[in-house]
Amino acid sequence: MSKKEITKFVQPKTSNRAELLHFQAQLRGEIEEEKPKMSKGRFALIALIILAVLACLLVACNFIASGIENWIAENPEAKTVPIQFLFFNFELSTDTISTFLFIRFQLITVIVLFGLFAIIKLIQPKRRKPNRSFWGDLGIYLMLFIVAIAMVFPLVFSVAASLKPLDEFFRFPPRVFPSRATFDNFSDLIVIMGQSFVPFSRYLINTVFITLVGTLGHVIIASMAAFVLSKYDFPGGKTFFGIVVTALMFSGYVTGIPNYVIMSRMGMIDTYWAIILPAFAAPIGLFLMKQSMESLPSALIEAAHLDGASEFRIFWTIVMPNVKPAWLTIIIFSVQSLWNTNAATVIYTESKKTLVYALGQIQAGGIARTGVAAAVQVIVMLVPITIFILSQSQILETMASSGLKD
Amino acid sequence: MQSSTSYWAIKKENLRYGWAKAKRMKVCYLFLLPYTVLFFTFFILPICTSIYYSFTYYNILEAPRFIGFQNYINLVLQDEVFLTAVRNTFVIAVITGPIGYILSFLFAWFINELPRWLRTIAVVVFYAPSIAGGAYTVFSIIFRGDAYGWLNAILLQFGLVDAPLLFLLDPRYIMTVIIIVTLWMSMGAGFLSFVAGLQGVDRSLYEAGYVDGIRNRWQELYFITLPSMKPMLLFGAVMSITSAFNVSDVPRALAGYPSTDYAARTIVTHLFDYGFSRFEMGYASAIATVLFLVMILCNKAIQAMLRKVGT
Repeated sequence: MSKKEITKFVQPKTSNRAELLHFQAQLRGEIEEEKPKMSKGRFALIALIILAVLACLLVACNFIASGIENWIAENPEAKTVPIQFLFFNFELSTDTISTFLFIRFQLITVIVLFGLFAIIKLIQPKRRKPNRSFWGDLGIYLMLFIVAIAMVFPLVFSVAASLKPLDEFFRFPPRVFPSRATFDNFSDLIVIMGQSFVPFSRYLINTVFITLVGTLGHVIIASMAAFVLSKYDFPGGKTFFGIVVTALMFSGYVTGIPNYVIMSRMGMIDTYWAIILPAFAAPIGLFLMKQSMESLPSALIEAAHLDGASEFRIFWTIVMPNVKPAWLTIIIFSVQSLWNTNAATVIYTESKKTLVYALGQIQAGGIARTGVAAAVQVIVMLVPITIFILSQSQILETMASSGLKD
Repeated sequence: MQSSTSYWAIKKENLRYGWAKAKRMKVCYLFLLPYTVLFFTFFILPICTSIYYSFTYYNILEAPRFIGFQNYINLVLQDEVFLTAVRNTFVIAVITGPIGYILSFLFAWFINELPRWLRTIAVVVFYAPSIAGGAYTVFSIIFRGDAYGWLNAILLQFGLVDAPLLFLLDPRYIMTVIIIVTLWMSMGAGFLSFVAGLQGVDRSLYEAGYVDGIRNRWQELYFITLPSMKPMLLFGAVMSITSAFNVSDVPRALAGYPSTDYAARTIVTHLFDYGFSRFEMGYASAIATVLFLVMILCNKAIQAMLRKVGT
């Protein structure tokens, strides 16, 4: 055997140091070879069989218990219950019902606990970290599960509400899910849209225009600024970025009033620009863009410089294609905020108002509109959530570099 | 004398060097220009004008009239509603800010070890409330003040109350409801940053930790994870301060505007009241300035605190 083959033979498959030590110990014969662990598929099969057996027991127990209950209900005087099962005939004392109820309760507990155990075993990554206790994992998963249900409940509630016919909104006790689900609320909404003062499509076009132009300009302007801030060291750059970071805290509320005055001086009130231009300069976009451009290797840009590319060309053909996740992310953040703008303070002409504003007006129509309002709620809610689900892997990639260094 | 002249000489030399550098890199300023113009017009200029207006009496119709510190004096000494607003805002910020921040981090950390498909679902579930535009209005059905309200119905059925509680009108309950709803929405951009940052922590640090005898997950959290997450923690802090101090949509949508006995009044709704209902822009600007200063101070305090983590 050549030397190469020997090294190949004893080469460990891992670079993990703890496992490496373990592997060396095995080679020296200090630790015995571990038995291979059960595969996930086999574990799932065994768990399912055990659960099925337990479930059968539960059904049988339930059957007997309810049988005894019925017997007692029919002849209250009886002391014993005749049981006929296949070809076994025997009598049971009526007192045993409490035992059966107790067994039933115990079985339910066992099934729930075992089910949880099996699910956790299946969820856990194949190679567990060595310093994790099983009970800690169990507690964390339980807590995650409970909190996740609490978080999602109001959202489910509003989706369920939009499917309720009007009379089910006012029943006691109220239910979360409708007993007769209909799409009436959505069709009513379409009817109401048809009756609005300006054609409803106008609102939609307004919002789409604002969102498209605002997002496009924001991406271009913010990434141009981010490019020089991240890749060049020039006087004033660091200070400027520091101001932008502080501006992450300027919410629309703090700047709302002077902004109104400034816009009215510039004659922008009651035009789309009053919404679009501030959106161009949103600090969060510049911030995220700069942080993710920072991770690009500087050598790439220096090489392009040596080849004689202009700054703009470097920006457009080298940097921009390499930060695709970042611009997807800022597109999404920008779309989300523009889609949700109500803009009631800066736009007065009815035909220039946004979709969210018009839907809000429909929603404000009182008790008779309860169902339609719920439908509106679902539509407004689903758009940003869908966008997020479709793009979440890119967003998370960008957010990985979102940290603030002090 | 000698030292001071050399100091100024160095300063001057620095300036000249900087100016030469700036001249050499003027294309950078060209790239920065469009953003800077818009940013100064819509973010910096408003803050400056806001500070200026806060020293004037200004009602949009007449030209602003300089009145010194009168607005601030009125704010503290005469305006009782403002003091209620400050108290409410601080209660909301002190409870939802830190708790929301810690919960965002904890859940991001718990989620981190789940398999990929489950992690995706969990991220969507936890992040959805903060982006679902206006989804909080559904709480006005859940907390409705009559027996058709979901929570009231449950309480009535279990016999815990004998008449429906006015959750959104009774000053005793309004704040609790608002805090619950704000907490529900508190997992925003900071949470995403945590989730992404945790995925990026260097694995070899953990492996070194196992060899060096880190015994359980909490030690690992404190000695390895938190120190390598510091930048994300700072970003999350900025985000949660901003959202905690700017609570206004939730109280306006749920408790009404104005709310019973001003029980749900926050600094921002107070600002809206004076700015857009009474058009006392000078006074509203004073409120905005106070809010702004408080937020900056909080941010500085948190930065100082985070510097000490894990060292």
